[in-house]
Amino acid sequence: MNIFLHELKVYRKSTIVWTLSLAAVLVLFMSMFPGLTKDAADFQKLLQGYPEPVRKAFGISLESITSLLGFYSYVFSYIVLCGCIQAMNLGVSILSKEAREKTADFLLTKPVTRSQVVSAKLLAAISSLIMTNIIFLAAAAMTTLSVSQKPFDMGTFLMISLSAFLVECMFLALGVLVAAVMSIKSVLPISLGTVFAFYILNMLGSVIGEKAVRYLTPFKYYDTAYIIRHASYEPRFIFIEALFIVIAVSASYIIYSKKDIHAV
Amino acid sequence: MNLFFREMKAARKSLILWCIGSFLMAASGMAKFEGLDSTGESLQQLVSTMPRSLQAVMGTGSLDLSTAVGYYGILFTYLLLMAAIHSLMLGAGIIAKEERGKTAEFLLSKPISRSRIMTAKLAAALVNVLIFNLVTFVFSVISVAKFAKTEDSISDLSLLMTGMFLVQLMFLAAGSGIAASGKKPKRAVSMGTALLLAAYILSIAIDLSQKLEFLQYLTPFKYFEAKRVLIDGGLDPVFILLSIGIVFILTIVAYISFNKRDIQV
Amino acid sequence: MNVIELKNLTKMYGKSRGIRNISFNVEEGEIFGFIGPNGAGKSTTIRTMLSLIYPTSGSALIFGKDSVKFAPEIKREIGYLPSEVFYYDNMKVKDLLKYSASFYKKDCSHRISQLSKMLDLDLNKKIDDLSFGNKKKVGIVQGLLHEPKLIILDEPTSGLDPLMQQKFFDLLKEENKKGTTILFSSHILSEVQKMCDRVAIIKEGELVKVEKISTLKENNHKRFKLETKMPVSQGFFQMDGVQNLEVKDQITSFLYSGNINSVLEKLTQLELTNLWIEEPDLEEIFLHYYEKENEDEYFSP
Repeated sequence: MNIFLHELKVYRKSTIVWTLSLAAVLVLFMSMFPGLTKDAADFQKLLQGYPEPVRKAFGISLESITSLLGFYSYVFSYIVLCGCIQAMNLGVSILSKEAREKTADFLLTKPVTRSQVVSAKLLAAISSLIMTNIIFLAAAAMTTLSVSQKPFDMGTFLMISLSAFLVECMFLALGVLVAAVMSIKSVLPISLGTVFAFYILNMLGSVIGEKAVRYLTPFKYYDTAYIIRHASYEPRFIFIEALFIVIAVSASYIIYSKKDIHAV
Repeated sequence: MNLFFREMKAARKSLILWCIGSFLMAASGMAKFEGLDSTGESLQQLVSTMPRSLQAVMGTGSLDLSTAVGYYGILFTYLLLMAAIHSLMLGAGIIAKEERGKTAEFLLSKPISRSRIMTAKLAAALVNVLIFNLVTFVFSVISVAKFAKTEDSISDLSLLMTGMFLVQLMFLAAGSGIAASGKKPKRAVSMGTALLLAAYILSIAIDLSQKLEFLQYLTPFKYFEAKRVLIDGGLDPVFILLSIGIVFILTIVAYISFNKRDIQV
Repeated sequence: MNVIELKNLTKMYGKSRGIRNISFNVEEGEIFGFIGPNGAGKSTTIRTMLSLIYPTSGSALIFGKDSVKFAPEIKREIGYLPSEVFYYDNMKVKDLLKYSASFYKKDCSHRISQLSKMLDLDLNKKIDDLSFGNKKKVGIVQGLLHEPKLIILDEPTSGLDPLMQQKFFDLLKEENKKGTTILFSSHILSEVQKMCDRVAIIKEGELVKVEKISTLKENNHKRFKLETKMPVSQGFFQMDGVQNLEVKDQITSFLYSGNINSVLEKLTQLELTNLWIEEPDLEEIFLHYYEKENEDEYFSP
């Protein structure tokens, strides 16, 4: 419990900064929604002069993306990206910090098992993420409600928002695993590099086939279009995520427990 | 010179990784072009009449997606982001690395002035940035040429890459400036990243709302964005001057603060 | 009862570095010295006992329990002070000590204030702002605040001024009187001689000898260096206990062990311009041990 509280305190400041930034970005973007709907309406008028098939093809994609949830999904993709950087950062730093700042000697000569150390740290990281997500969700709900002119499905909205946390958990687990395996000198380049690599992997889609890529990059696990259409997540991706997290976390426990902590 | 080579060697591995990333981006991104190639010209016309905010949300911008270079413009946004991150990490790392690894004492007790240290480190970072730029240029030319039917893409691409180089220089200078002047160099990388992400988000926000247009001077990502460069057929002199000025000032800040800095151990 | 029992403890890194077949026991209530030059394997041995690193083979029993299997249980009764202390940035001394105390299920606040008063440590300062010596004090308080039954010290005195060293040694002796066992690693012989009952000597990853300090003191070596008006004749210092005699013009130097009075008597026969009597450094003591046991090997490294 003491390690948990200590870790929470260590990451308190960065959690607050991340939370406020995420909320600020969302508020900034969502405040543009009324302007966007106006633009869209004007454009719809202009579309009238075009032949039927063009109008149809364009109208549908336009409508879905300029609907409240459609636009929210668009904005949300950037939020998920940032949230994942936060999660990966947390994951990498919680396990590598002691070795980097040379406090491992302090912590690991205390009467605790290494597993207890990992558990406390993991719990602190997850708590930080949960706190970020709760506050973000509140800010998002308030902004969305205040800019929407038409009613929208709150359940779907919540499901989309919650998917950020699910993706973040994967990056947290990945970060912890990376830190358990490697010795890390600087956290941010590792987490930025990894998160952006997965983000860019979306682009690779066309080469290895979109379907395969969906399994490779967590960013595609909870497709907002699917959520809007079915009001649910795709079960197989929940299963894959759970499997990945279980494997990564247990591997981290085992590796960290067996690791030699060298003198400085 | 020994310091320069030492720095080059230290950065070698990460430079290779970044170049591989650039290759993957250029190759895979352009591969998608084939799929989009068939979208007729009439649709392109329609897109160009869309309000800018809608273009942004739909992910096209005012780029002419029916040409290979126009399509490459989308890709360029991501390449620019990559290049910016790379330069920032280099810039922030050159000073922060020494204090983090407690090697600052070692280095600074050698008979070499701090300005010389800074020059050697910046020169090494500059060469890294240049290599990344050239490699990206070559990959881009090859992958665009594969799809371009008639048009000459090299002149457009070299314009874009010149713009990218200026952006790289800005982030390199920003990274080293932050690291040299900040009290805690360990924080330099995170502060620089925050700045970079903020600039990136701002550039998206500006696309979404014309009301924010006046903020474009604040974010280097807007200075030489593909749609502007490809439509104008050149780099905007105002932004060229602005970026040179920014690089100049930040570099001086880096030198002065590094010279005055109390090295922490 | 043995507080520490090392049985053929081996830890290899790659091929060469590490420790091989270290075995010795430390009894309850002892102050046990652990001495060897830099890189001999002192820290490796200690870190293995603390299960910071894991043995390749062999085992370490602490309080009769395996150091790997019962690690957390054992650590409840261990206080450890590493040679270099790094503690969390952005924490006040007080916060760190409280954090440290929170790992042990007892109230340590009284002890914290007592120890820090004794060592002159300001509890309200930030750890970042402390000097190396003061950080070391934090380390000492942190290692002793839970009144451990076994104190493990890895080259603890570096960075402490002589006055503080003395206070620290007094503190350790006091703990020892209460029955605490102390393992004290160092490369400074005089330090170990002053504190310890017995000492283990380690070199190049292997245990050379476990010896009582009283025995060590018997063949207590001194390095003599004297400057005379006239060069001393080679035969002059032909006597028991003189080793490594070197005469270079006016300067004569040798290592001496034995009754100090007989050599002083000899010296009074000379006309001295200067005289140094020093503790031999560790290398010389090792030289002595190696000469006895394995003469050829030492000289062809």
